[in-house]
Amino acid sequence: MIKLKESTTGGLLASTYLGYSLVFWLYPFIWLAVLSFTDWKFIGTPSFNGVKNIIAVMQNPLFWTAMYNVFKFLAYYLPIVLMSSLLFAFGLRKLKYGKAFVALSFLLANVSSGVAYSIVFSKLLSETGPINTFLMNTMGINVPWFTHPDFAMLSVALIITWKFVGYYGLIFYSGLITIPKDIYDAADLDKTSGPGKIWHITLPLMNAQIVMVLVLAITVAFSIFTEPYLITGGGPLQSTTTPMVVMYEAAFRQMQPSWAATMSIIVAVFSFSLIWILRRCLEKKIEIV
Amino acid sequence: MKIMKLAAIAGITLFLSGCGPDEKDQTSIKMWVAPNITQEVYWGEIVKEWNSNPANRKVEFTSIPAAGSSEEAIMNALASGTEPDISTNIFIGFAKQLSELKQLTDYSKMPGFQTLTETRHMGKTISNWQFDGQQTVIPIYISPVLYWWRSDLLAAQGFDHVPTSYDEIYTLSERIALTQKGYSLQLTSGKNWWDRWFDFIPLYYAAAGGRPYIQDKKSAFDNESGLEALNFMAKMFANKWTSYDFTTADDPLAAGMVLGAMRGPWDIERYQKQFPEVLKEIRIGPMPTQSGAPGANTMADSKGIVMFSTSKVQNDAWKFIQWVYSDPKHDLRWLELTGMPPAREDLQSNPVFSDYLQQHPLVNDIVSYVPKAVPPAAVTKTVEVQRTMTQMIEKLMFENNSVPDALHQSSQEIDKILEQ
Repeated sequence: MIKLKESTTGGLLASTYLGYSLVFWLYPFIWLAVLSFTDWKFIGTPSFNGVKNIIAVMQNPLFWTAMYNVFKFLAYYLPIVLMSSLLFAFGLRKLKYGKAFVALSFLLANVSSGVAYSIVFSKLLSETGPINTFLMNTMGINVPWFTHPDFAMLSVALIITWKFVGYYGLIFYSGLITIPKDIYDAADLDKTSGPGKIWHITLPLMNAQIVMVLVLAITVAFSIFTEPYLITGGGPLQSTTTPMVVMYEAAFRQMQPSWAATMSIIVAVFSFSLIWILRRCLEKKIEIV
Repeated sequence: MKIMKLAAIAGITLFLSGCGPDEKDQTSIKMWVAPNITQEVYWGEIVKEWNSNPANRKVEFTSIPAAGSSEEAIMNALASGTEPDISTNIFIGFAKQLSELKQLTDYSKMPGFQTLTETRHMGKTISNWQFDGQQTVIPIYISPVLYWWRSDLLAAQGFDHVPTSYDEIYTLSERIALTQKGYSLQLTSGKNWWDRWFDFIPLYYAAAGGRPYIQDKKSAFDNESGLEALNFMAKMFANKWTSYDFTTADDPLAAGMVLGAMRGPWDIERYQKQFPEVLKEIRIGPMPTQSGAPGANTMADSKGIVMFSTSKVQNDAWKFIQWVYSDPKHDLRWLELTGMPPAREDLQSNPVFSDYLQQHPLVNDIVSYVPKAVPPAAVTKTVEVQRTMTQMIEKLMFENNSVPDALHQSSQEIDKILEQ
């Protein structure tokens, strides 16, 4: 029997993960950095071209349209997804039976294939789909969910809300059940109203979960691809063109991987900055003494 | 500890030895074909026949690896040095890109090239596929995109023939509008850049008599013909005679939501499987024009075969290509299996094809448009150009821009894109 030192065993156990990270994270990351300062078209050796790529990305109107669209998406998505996930968490707490079943049902949306549900939603929300037929019969209106520049991003936000409501809801739920009941009892003695309890007790004590969900939501906003690519094609009038769609087409359709790599780095800087600002403004250290 | 080190070194060596491009097996010709069942069946038969002759260097074919698109898969393969010797499914814009990157072999320098163009009767067709004085791609098939009409629904509206002029379509649309049920046409096929191959571009070709929409690195559609085609589209949308929301999941023509829609020959097989009853009612019509005169041009959805310049078996690969395309029976088999017209000009005069075409009147109708079908512009910036065209159409719909303004703006944007 060979006796291994504890550190060796640890090293061995971690080696698969380290190897994985080296190959699938570090190597692409270095390549990305190399690409963004060079000119390369998939073939041959990249040639150094300084900051030309950065200037080219910054001067491209499509880049700015895509960034604007991310913020437009967040303006729709954050309030809708926060409200619905909170409602989901509150609802789940009230359930007496079948909690796991309900939670799993909602989580199913999170693991389902983007391509599959994009087709389902494009049928559901099409001009002659069941939702518009119902609206037409009851209220005489027809909503151009994906075909009007003012609606298309809202529709994408609704689909992504559907996908994430169970996931974020469970994060909220985990925060909700850790709040001690004594605090609510004390509030009852002080005759605090229901909304008052939510505003002054529940939400502040769930700060960690709320910040986490916000961080996740921002990350999602910068990485939307399947829904606009498959359903709206980035339109109408580029209202749903996201950075991922722009980068994908630049790299694999227009054969400009260097341009796309540079854009990905700039987009990452934007998303990290946004997350940093958000954490500075909202994150609080909460301790129940 | 020594054992650990040895194990680690062995592990790393094993791991690294797995990286890097595979050494090319030069005993065979590697070929990639379109990831499509009928085309794979076709190449299966052809390759089997070729390989049965022991004098031939064996061909091994696989479908283009799964990726976002064939272009993506091929670029990835070129980057990693795993590209095949020859590949089908190459559209003209991509061929131009690969050609500029010097990745393709110039067929015109191969022995017997001229003979092949003559044997296959593709001299005129192939000239559309030449760029920079080189012939780096040979078209395999030419699928004219045309209007498919539902004769049963047309008859119900008092039409005993397919509409060919804008005015006839307007009249039909007015009648449909009165019934408040559905639309007359599916005018746009989608919102993606590639959908312009199936609406504005063929309509422009029809109006312009097949003149190119891009010439000498400049847009060439800001003219009377461009106005004609775009005015037609604008009028159809403004009167709500068509919708921008025919989702990919539905087929509005089969469902009877529209009476006419642009379709390609590849749809015949799909309709045969999914809507055989509807297919019996389908009549083929040309791209509509102002005058409705017969023989309007249209766009050719067309793919070709290329040989990569890195191939070490170019001579044998060329022999294989020559063998495939010099025998009209191979093209007949292609037509039988895929329904897509082979890129040759003698389809209606060559007796090899006559039996098949007589038995398949729809294919025969489509084939009659092959000489009128023009491929899209051979530019490297297809995506940007056609994205601009999408904007042009959407501006008419959502921003109420005037037709000349939208056309002019799009044309200027394209000039700027092509200048870069």
